[in-house]
Amino acid sequence: MQRRTLFLMLFPAVALYTLFVAYPFVSSLALSFYDWPGIGPKTWVGFQNYSNVLTGFMSAEFYRAFWHNVVFFVWSLILSVVPGLFFAFLLAAAMKGTGWLKVVFFFPNTLSIVVVGFLWSLLLNPQWGLVNQLFKAVGLGFLARPWLGDIKLALPTIIAVTAWRGLGFYVLVYLAAIIGVEREEAEAARIDGATEIQIALRIVLPHLLPIIATTSILKFIWTFNIFDIVYAMEGTQGGPAGSTDVLGTLFYRIAFGGLGSSQTGMGLGATVVTLIFLVVFPVSLLYVFVLERRVEEEA
Amino acid sequence: MKKFVLLGIVAALAAAAWAGGGAEQGAAQAPAQTVSVWGWRAQDADVWKAAEAALKAKGVNVAIKYEVFPPTEYDSKLLVSLQGGVGPDIMYTRRLPGARTQALLDNGYLVPLDGKVDLAAFTDVSLSFIRSGGKTWGVPFANQIVGIFYNTEIFAKYGLKEPATWAELVQNAETLQKNGVTPFFVTAKEAWTLAMQNAMVGVSYPGDAWIGKLAAGKAKFTDPEFVGMLKDLNALKKYYQKDFSANTSAEQDVTFGMGQAAMVFYGIWGTSNWLKTNPDLKFGYFPIPPKDASVPAKAYTYMDGAYAINAASKAQDAAAKVLGYAASKEYGAAFSKITGEMTAVKGVAMPADRPVLVECYELMNTIASANRYWVGSPFDAGTPSAYNILQENMQAMYLDAITPEDLAKKLQDGLSTWFPPFKK
Repeated sequence: MQRRTLFLMLFPAVALYTLFVAYPFVSSLALSFYDWPGIGPKTWVGFQNYSNVLTGFMSAEFYRAFWHNVVFFVWSLILSVVPGLFFAFLLAAAMKGTGWLKVVFFFPNTLSIVVVGFLWSLLLNPQWGLVNQLFKAVGLGFLARPWLGDIKLALPTIIAVTAWRGLGFYVLVYLAAIIGVEREEAEAARIDGATEIQIALRIVLPHLLPIIATTSILKFIWTFNIFDIVYAMEGTQGGPAGSTDVLGTLFYRIAFGGLGSSQTGMGLGATVVTLIFLVVFPVSLLYVFVLERRVEEEA
Repeated sequence: MKKFVLLGIVAALAAAAWAGGGAEQGAAQAPAQTVSVWGWRAQDADVWKAAEAALKAKGVNVAIKYEVFPPTEYDSKLLVSLQGGVGPDIMYTRRLPGARTQALLDNGYLVPLDGKVDLAAFTDVSLSFIRSGGKTWGVPFANQIVGIFYNTEIFAKYGLKEPATWAELVQNAETLQKNGVTPFFVTAKEAWTLAMQNAMVGVSYPGDAWIGKLAAGKAKFTDPEFVGMLKDLNALKKYYQKDFSANTSAEQDVTFGMGQAAMVFYGIWGTSNWLKTNPDLKFGYFPIPPKDASVPAKAYTYMDGAYAINAASKAQDAAAKVLGYAASKEYGAAFSKITGEMTAVKGVAMPADRPVLVECYELMNTIASANRYWVGSPFDAGTPSAYNILQENMQAMYLDAITPEDLAKKLQDGLSTWFPPFKK
């Protein structure tokens, strides 16, 4: 009876998971072994798609996009964790009257990523965008740049915009963790003559390492699935000259075509998705492991 | 008795009148047959409204339901829907040769229109873009022309003429720049506009005949003629607006529309937006001038797309009536008037208030290039297409990441992987 009840209670979740997660994944995995333009019969090609992507005519684009995802992860992690911790410590040090600051930090997170991309595209317009206008107004006109049209600057610019949008999340998560650190420890250190910086670095920061690890893993997973912000700011081509192309935009171009794509290749696209999964899955397992360890430690 | 007879006649007349009126009323209230149309052109919504009204006026009781999808998503949306059996009655299709429309044909999703729709109002060239296997699969809706559009008031102010050679084009740009005018506004953030720019230059320099040899495998992109063209095009960038690599066509609409740039490399479809920005804008068109005056200047023209009937449609007869009207001069005139673009129907008078449209319609019939390597060409029928390669690598060349020679080699190498004349 108990087992039956358990089964009945689990059934809706399992059914939904199977329908919306397991089935599409297995279907996509199977598709990666076929040549299929999106219509008509599928042709079995074995590992040919993998060969094309990893060592064949798609390999240069694939590895370039993969590298851009790596760069995206490293820099967006640095630009999220470091300022996130800095502002969290500042807010923790002056808790009273900082509610509005939390709202300010978190506000960009409430905006849709497409809206953020559109707004920043306007702000970064080389001729009349606010960013270059501000530089010119304060006598730093030499810093005015075609931010989204420069091969060397376009990716860092998109990373910075992404970090700006996500900063509030990191500030709030780290702030919550800082507040959760036992006050007695900090008080004892203070009585023993420790400075606030010493307390922050030697007492509070070690307590934050698990949460930093968790957010870093999450950042990795999000970064390797990134598509929307690049699409919003540079389109499916990941321009200029492919300098912002990531695995998400590469997949979109291959699978769904777009301007300049003479045909769609669902099988090839599914191969890229499967490879993204193979990168993200082990890290997701690590995330689960870290999370479980934290729960056990806290228990 | 007489009274009863009279009453009987009156009753019979009344019944007849009621029955007749009812029948008429029934006919008037019969629901119109819905014909669904899917396309990627938002500017056509009013065209279809006008077509529905015109068809109803002719006694064809149809309700045209037009749905628009973003151009980059349209093809995949259509493919998925057709396979799910929920596609439209009429669909917009891309031109042939092209893998997308070929896939629709190969899988039996289209109905041949020969014998169903009178296609006499189209030229063979227009129909060639939608013919395959000896059959015609769609009704062409628009022809496009690309080239240089210029501000005639700025040209007049500095005494400039439409250039006959590349050197004159450069000289014009030089004069404008010296006078503080931005000679060209280029939208290099949108890579497709650079592929288009390259292709429109190519039909005049190195030229239509050279592209003919290229298509036959008797010339290569790495030949001095093409590399020379790339070098000249790359050298032209000093006349583009500052930071042109970060600009889009939306910004071009404002800048050219407001007379802040003298020339743009663009297509006839842009004219409506410029006139929306500035109804008083005075502008003209000229095809890219050749390097050598002995080579004729050509205009890059192509059939933009066609309306096709879904083989799974349950309203094929009504759809054929709609397409029959779309193949008429009346429809063509309405199309050009509403969209400001060139109908594919021949012999239509372009709106007199659009002199550039009138001129381009004329040029399309006189100096259209027979050969091309961008859209509507055999170089666009495989992957990677010339279009694919040009987009990213034109940006790279303009940003000095690669040389003109590198770009030429990438084109030749990329196309050699599948284009039969290059594979030999």
